[in-house]
Amino acid sequence: MLSIIVILPFISALFLGILYLSNPTKKRYKLYTLIGSGVPTVIAFISFGLFFKLFNGAPSLHEDLFNWIAIGDFEIPVAFTLDRLSSIMLVFISGIGALIHIYATGYMRDEEGYGKFFSYFNFFMGAMFLLILANNPIMMFIGWELVGLASYLLIGFYHQDHDNITAANKAFILNRVGDFGFIMGIALLFISLEGTAFTFDAIALNIHNIDLQTLTWIGILLFIGAMGKSAQIPLYVWLPDAMAGPTPVSALIHAATMVTAGVYMVARYSFLYVEIPQVGLFIAYIGAFSALFAAIIATYQSDIKKILAYSTMSQLGYMFIAVGLGAYSSGVFHVFTHAFFKALLFMGAGAVIIALHHEQNIFKMGGLKKQLPLVYVTMFVATLAISGIAPFAGFFSKDAILASAFASEHYLIWGIGSFTAFLTAFYMFRLLFTVFIAPASSENKLHSLPKSMTWPLVVLAIGSATAGFLGRNEAYGGENWMGHFLALPDMVIHLSHKSEYLLGGLNMLLGLSGMFLAYKMFAIKSEAPQERHFFNRLVINKFYVDTLYTRIFVQPLLLLSHLIANVIDPKLFDGIITTLSQGYLLVGRQFSRLQSGKVRLYAIQILVGISLMSYYMLFKLGVLG
Amino acid sequence: MSAHLFFLLVALLFSIGLVGVISRRNLFVVYMSVELMLSAITLLFATLSQTLNSANASVMSLLTIAIIAAEAALFLAMIIHLYRINRTLDSEQCTSLKQEAL
Amino acid sequence: MLELSLFFILALFTLGGSITMVVSFQPLFSAFGFLIAMLGLAGLFALLNNQFLALAQIMVSVGAVVILSMLTIMTVNAQVQNLPKEPHKFIWLILSSFLVAPITVLIYTQLNTLPATLKGAETITAKVIGNALFTDWVFPFEIVSILLLTAMVGAIVIGRKHLLDTKACS
Repeated sequence: MLSIIVILPFISALFLGILYLSNPTKKRYKLYTLIGSGVPTVIAFISFGLFFKLFNGAPSLHEDLFNWIAIGDFEIPVAFTLDRLSSIMLVFISGIGALIHIYATGYMRDEEGYGKFFSYFNFFMGAMFLLILANNPIMMFIGWELVGLASYLLIGFYHQDHDNITAANKAFILNRVGDFGFIMGIALLFISLEGTAFTFDAIALNIHNIDLQTLTWIGILLFIGAMGKSAQIPLYVWLPDAMAGPTPVSALIHAATMVTAGVYMVARYSFLYVEIPQVGLFIAYIGAFSALFAAIIATYQSDIKKILAYSTMSQLGYMFIAVGLGAYSSGVFHVFTHAFFKALLFMGAGAVIIALHHEQNIFKMGGLKKQLPLVYVTMFVATLAISGIAPFAGFFSKDAILASAFASEHYLIWGIGSFTAFLTAFYMFRLLFTVFIAPASSENKLHSLPKSMTWPLVVLAIGSATAGFLGRNEAYGGENWMGHFLALPDMVIHLSHKSEYLLGGLNMLLGLSGMFLAYKMFAIKSEAPQERHFFNRLVINKFYVDTLYTRIFVQPLLLLSHLIANVIDPKLFDGIITTLSQGYLLVGRQFSRLQSGKVRLYAIQILVGISLMSYYMLFKLGVLG
Repeated sequence: MSAHLFFLLVALLFSIGLVGVISRRNLFVVYMSVELMLSAITLLFATLSQTLNSANASVMSLLTIAIIAAEAALFLAMIIHLYRINRTLDSEQCTSLKQEAL
Repeated sequence: MLELSLFFILALFTLGGSITMVVSFQPLFSAFGFLIAMLGLAGLFALLNNQFLALAQIMVSVGAVVILSMLTIMTVNAQVQNLPKEPHKFIWLILSSFLVAPITVLIYTQLNTLPATLKGAETITAKVIGNALFTDWVFPFEIVSILLLTAMVGAIVIGRKHLLDTKACS
């Protein structure tokens, strides 16, 4: 069953691709829809079945397909494992992925390349399943790379526009930087293990044989890979640009698949990161600063999708705080809840964008509450969830993370996290109020929304509202089912119920105050941010990080390639080659004089040779003597 | 009397013919030098026919003389032809095998 | 002793004729040198007890080839200005002699490895040659006859006037 989950999307992607390429202009809406969204739905049901098997106490499932690489005793099998961690990931990825697919059938309906889109989309799902279900780092890396490829294809889906190509390239190249770290980490791990079996289980058993310093390096290198995939400082700049793709792509990348891969990877290697808490702390700080940084930028953005992109980065920061501090199940729990409300937010945003004929600037929207009541309600639920207002999903997961940050006595991280929670509430409600409540700046005739785009919103809204209950801890009357089920090597939190209530209350308070601030500032009258003073300008220009990267990395590279293309290559290399060929020509011209056409001279040339040979024979070979 | 003298004579005649071919430009001299080289070969065969006491070498000698005759016919025809075209007997004037400059 | 002196006289004629032939400026002088060399060769054939070859040499080489050459030379009747100017003729001759010298020595030394005793028992007459020619050598004989025929045809074709249009030389 596991291999079916992985292979089926690839097969359907291939099939759709061939079908599309056979006649790109032909509309096969029904066929593409049936295959493109049917396959993920089927997989979602299979995944639920498998999940309940584990839920009912089955040990992890294994499936060996074949040996991919066998060198002596060392083997890399193509094998899949479904343990508790991957089953949670599998369930929400396949479930939300299927919903996004269904949503995309509505969103992409009128696009050219509908079949191509679903081919890429299914490919993306397959790559993600491969990443999740891999039972060894090599297979995981293949999935990791395929996810990068799929995101490249999807971000550059509207390839007629040059900016989109640039965005896709940016995502791909920055991911390569991260992947470099990742593959180095895998290689170092492999070398350090000295040829013992290379599956996650075996690595977990042998991890104590590696000395601490090497382990630290492995941890850092692997985390560099996670930085790239999960868009943390400093490799985050691709994420906002990735909004160039169609909105379902953003939903899939941000909610369920790609960006969560980094968190999943760290959780998967939790046995490794438990040994090196100092690297974990580093991860947590990176996560905290990414969260704050992205939240600050998000408060001044005016593009609806970019706000959501930065909020994703911010939420990913929370997840890394959790996994960095060793609260792995809290991190995975936040991945889980985040998937619901972020998918919902993106799909709601997509619905608004479609309804407003591809308008993305929130300050040109407004007053949509009456025209799109369903979207408004569902997005309101999602915004409440992401802002950490009880009892919606985000509250429990975020609270668990902040509680563990508080309990581990890293108060700076906790402070940043709490402040970011306030900012999150602020910018999310800013978006919501500006789009739905503030008076419209101009009257728009709305595009009608198909059913396939609305009812996934309802499903996800229910999920966003209730998913948090799965991980309620004791203080809130639950038993932290999620944490017990995952059984990851979590840190132990010693907090009294009283302080948990205090922390939760503080979070609520921060969320609500952000909400009210946003209401005051944007609900009555919304204005696009102006570049007024220094800080303002800094934030609107995203702290000039893109400019900085362009100055530091891109421009010197361009200069270097310019130098190579215009000076070194033509002058040095071409020069040498031209000189050589000129030399040969010159020598050839001199020699061609020998071919004078005078047969007598030819005879002399032959005779000179014969004569020399005769001399040789006479005096050297001693014929004479 | 031994055949060494005849061998020496053969070598000398052949060499004189060779020198004539490569150093002279007059087509008639070139032609006669080639004939002289062939004649040296007939002398060699005749000498061998004596030393080996066999008529076979003489027959080969005779055939070589026939070849000399055939060659004479062709060579003279060619000389006449070239003279008609070039109005000269200079072999250096024939350069159509030359490589044209690049 | 008589044979030896005869050989030297004939060899002198032959070499002298050949050298004259190679060195002369006028083709007709060359042809005379060639004639003398051919006659000397005929004498040498006779000295080698090779009656038939001597006769054949006189008839074919002297009687046909040399006379034909002279006839051609006189037919062409090249004037002095039409003859090639060879300003460095002797330099060329000496240089090429140096080139050819080792080849001569090599040929001579290699020929000396052959049996060198002149038996001289049997005179090679037309009968002997005829016997050999029409028993063991029939096939080469026929080939040579075809060669002669071909050469004749070729000579006629080359000599025809219409070939003048094609530019053989520049």
